[in-house]
Amino acid sequence: MLTQTEMAILNNILDQLIPANKKRELPSAGKLEIAAFIVQRASKNPVLKKDIASIVLYAQAKADKVSPNFVRQLQDNKPSEFESLITETYKGYYSRPDIREKLGLSAHAVHPQGYDVNKESEELLDALTEPVRQRGPIFLDPTGGKKDGA
Amino acid sequence: MEHEPVDVLIIGAGASGAAIAWSLLETRMRILCLEQGGHLTDAEYPSRKEDYELSRYAEFSCDPNVRGLKQDYPINSENSCITPVNWNGVGGSTINFLAHWPRMKPSDFRTKTLDDVGEDWPINYYNLEPFYEVNDLNIGVSGLPGNTAYPEYKISNPPIPIGILGQTLAKGFNNMGWHWWPSDVAILSRDQEGRQKCVNAGTCDLGCAAGAKGGTNFTYWPLLERAGVELRTNSRVREIQIDEATGLANGVLYHGADGQVHRQRAEIVIMACNGVGTPRLLLHSSSTLFPEGLANRSGLVGKNLMFHPLTGVAGVFKEEMKGHEGPMACSILSQEFYESDPSRGFSRGYGLHSGRSTTPMTFALGGYGVDNPIPWGNEHLEIMDNIYPYLAGLTIVTEDLPEEHNCVTLDADLKDSDGIPAPKINYTLGENTKAMIKHGEERAREVLLAAGAEKVLAKNDDNVWWRAGWHQMGTCRMGNDPSNSVVNSWGRSHDVKNLFIVDGSIFVTAGAVNPTSTIQALALYIGDQIKNNIQTLFD
Repeated sequence: MLTQTEMAILNNILDQLIPANKKRELPSAGKLEIAAFIVQRASKNPVLKKDIASIVLYAQAKADKVSPNFVRQLQDNKPSEFESLITETYKGYYSRPDIREKLGLSAHAVHPQGYDVNKESEELLDALTEPVRQRGPIFLDPTGGKKDGA
Repeated sequence: MEHEPVDVLIIGAGASGAAIAWSLLETRMRILCLEQGGHLTDAEYPSRKEDYELSRYAEFSCDPNVRGLKQDYPINSENSCITPVNWNGVGGSTINFLAHWPRMKPSDFRTKTLDDVGEDWPINYYNLEPFYEVNDLNIGVSGLPGNTAYPEYKISNPPIPIGILGQTLAKGFNNMGWHWWPSDVAILSRDQEGRQKCVNAGTCDLGCAAGAKGGTNFTYWPLLERAGVELRTNSRVREIQIDEATGLANGVLYHGADGQVHRQRAEIVIMACNGVGTPRLLLHSSSTLFPEGLANRSGLVGKNLMFHPLTGVAGVFKEEMKGHEGPMACSILSQEFYESDPSRGFSRGYGLHSGRSTTPMTFALGGYGVDNPIPWGNEHLEIMDNIYPYLAGLTIVTEDLPEEHNCVTLDADLKDSDGIPAPKINYTLGENTKAMIKHGEERAREVLLAAGAEKVLAKNDDNVWWRAGWHQMGTCRMGNDPSNSVVNSWGRSHDVKNLFIVDGSIFVTAGAVNPTSTIQALALYIGDQIKNNIQTLFD
């Protein structure tokens, strides 16, 4: 769908959307070539395909260099296309097992393993709920415990 | 094609359809359930796949308009600030619901008497109490006994972990002197009867691959099918038919798995299609006897649609909250502001429910039920590094009041894949709800700060969550007066003696709690009444 040059432009834009995170050692979205993910999805989605083509065309016409300022312009001038792009970028980036793992999630399918969440002890729950129990009932009982029709 | 007549025909294999089938098993009547969707196989659960989250925005979206699967029908929500969400298939919305399981409260059944709003139900909490108990055992409910917001009741499984998030929020409520309690959940905290306990995957909305969540596909249907209830899947009912001489329902026409139209005759027809699907089918079943829709002499079929309008407030804490671990919507719940207090400036009240936060993807895309991606660039990194991991939030779950203009009608143009008109939703937020939301947001803010939040994220609009029409109620309400209700106090149509409705459409008021526990208790209650009245059922 896109030429190599066009893919490079798209990845440059994605680098701006999700930049590299040095603190967590996470690469930027373009560096991870999330453009390939987006283009693959666009091949099955005519609206997305049109939006991506429109963005690349705009970038080719307007930008010598993809910068945050350019991306802001893109966002202002092509808002619905930009929303498509940002949505697919976030999906592509955060669905990667390597990214999930670095963010503390299960890298792979989350069943059957799940996560270990410590069960509160009875003592802890008792202590936490004690102030609530001390106050007593807080519900209204308009029929005083009687059924209708009884 | 015509089939052998059955004694009982249930339309819909979700929460209420399964429960009523179970209740009627002992009658040994021949029971058939028609369900427009199919069974979900183990391999189809997204959480068993690598790219599981992407399903949330595609074939496993809670929004049928996004999913667009064969069994889904489109819904026109252009005139609504909330769009209905559901699952169509065996289990119904218990496939993708979040299994939060609070009961309605005694005052919910008496809003007219107590607060001069809505109408009183013709039954009350204590009529349903034994059926809540039976259903909780059947489903497998976990929680902590002793909740002071309710009459005492038993819970068979210990609570699921509330996690660091729940413990933190609980301290906030304690600091304010406000009620809170660990959530009752239809999720197993220990293995039970061949079902695995919850593994805290946090993907409840994508179906529960572990079988821990109390969807009727795991709880009721295996037993029902073994006991001889016929479950005919991929069978979409288009019309309920009436014998014009007797005024009784005598069966349905449905689109079968073979693509043909079938006729199924039945002695008793029970509708379990949810608060949107049931009025839709009734309105589409008009006849000479019922020109305004079947069982609609009151004119109320489709009217008084109630949702639970939702919005949320989140706090940013010092500690990581690990909100992606554990059942999505279930940690703790406060009913401090549930009962009416006129000094607040609105009638009835709301719950504050803790939501565990979602995964990075869902959060970046705006959070569950919201389509509003977070900013890009350095701001994105700032949010994902310094806000997302430290979030704990509260959802304000408001009681909707019944208003006739909030309604389900048939769309003039939009149709499903079988040519049946789609439902059209007309819904606006009431002034009472708006006042409640404002109050709830302010209280949520206070308690988050009391819990130690370093900042509370501002909500800069008056919107409620769009993709949040989980609870669809009121559209065929029950009552003793046929001019003011569609069904009687045990779900029987005032107009058609062998037609019953058992889903959330028969609710008179909405309460401010998730309705499924009450929907199933009500279905069991109705089943019991049918059995008690079996000798004179059609009199």
